[in-house]
Amino acid sequence: MKAAGALEVGEASSRASTPGRGLNRGISILDLVLRLVAVAGTLGSAIAMGTTNETLPFFTQFIRFKAQYSDLPSFTFFVIANAVVSAYLILSLPLSIYHIARSSARGSRIVLTFLDAAMLALLTAGASAAAAIVYLAHKGNARANWFSICQQFNSFCERISGSLIGSFIGIVVFILLILLSSIAISRR
Amino acid sequence: MKSGDATAINISEPSSESKVSDTKGKSTTAETKGKAAAGAPAVATTKATKIARGGWKKGLAIFDFILRILAIGATLGAAISMGTTDQTLPIFTQFFQFQASYSDLPAFTFFVIANAIAAGYLVLSIPFSIVGIVRPNIVGARLLLLIFDTVMVALTAAGAGSAAAIVYLAHTGNSSANWVAICQQFDDFCQQVSGAVVGSFIATLILMMLVVTLALALRKQC
Repeated sequence: MKAAGALEVGEASSRASTPGRGLNRGISILDLVLRLVAVAGTLGSAIAMGTTNETLPFFTQFIRFKAQYSDLPSFTFFVIANAVVSAYLILSLPLSIYHIARSSARGSRIVLTFLDAAMLALLTAGASAAAAIVYLAHKGNARANWFSICQQFNSFCERISGSLIGSFIGIVVFILLILLSSIAISRR
Repeated sequence: MKSGDATAINISEPSSESKVSDTKGKSTTAETKGKAAAGAPAVATTKATKIARGGWKKGLAIFDFILRILAIGATLGAAISMGTTDQTLPIFTQFFQFQASYSDLPAFTFFVIANAIAAGYLVLSIPFSIVGIVRPNIVGARLLLLIFDTVMVALTAAGAGSAAAIVYLAHTGNSSANWVAICQQFDDFCQQVSGAVVGSFIATLILMMLVVTLALALRKQC
């Protein structure tokens, strides 16, 4: 009687979890797609910022007429942060595929959530540091006597402003990834 | 039939007792004993595992509450430290500004606003955290807190990152862009601002730990 009861309970649980397993699989597939989008965004940002190099065609003794990302340490940090985050995302793709295959993997999902939170903080710090300097380059600051360099370096400014977009897309994607992982963890 | 039930109850009782002995609640032991005596053994063991899970989750919920209090301190401290900057130098020329406060630099204004929002959210999330302590198996409130905590990680990291970039520039200047380091004149201002940035980074770290704690507490099994 005990064995029959156990068999009944086992059957009922497997029947109840099949639609749940389908939803978990959908969450894992969406997780993989979002990771690919974030790889594209962060890699694009790193490359766009890293290949900046503008030289103006004239020349005085006082002001520099060459601008690239390595002149400003915030931009160097931005390139490094985006490169690290895109490398992490590429390395986490196999784990994401494993989650599609096995929906009941809980420990690895928590590790992935923890690493996603760490990468979110790193990416946001890099993107916001670069955004602060880009804002300063566009507007300058009268009180600190920092003048806006964008008036001279047009294409450099456009490039650095555009490279922020991919990074901010990556930030939104990471928030969604953490949300999806937590929903998947709470469902099983 | 009766002897069969008696042996079944005897087998399950030690296992349920050993599971409950790990938890902190003393009243639950009496509950499981009463339930094991009255109902089927399978029911007794599932109730015992639920109470065992609750004890472990209660520890996580208390840790979550403590982290929230620390994060409130960090964000509020950072916002106040940055918001009360106002240094006026006693000297005077026509070219330079000799008064420095946080509102002179938009990145610092964003920093104060971001940390104020984070501190306000954390204060409002304390009741939800207390609910998580009282009812350790709750899912909805924890999921809601996890979503907003993730957004707050991004917000505080953004504020801290942008302020850190400006503070670095104020400390070292930039010869390529002809931006002069203002920290050499405004000492107190620079110290206060740098301390605020450090506090905000600590708050980001605490919020990250909160996200991991909530993710661990959302699991359905140990």
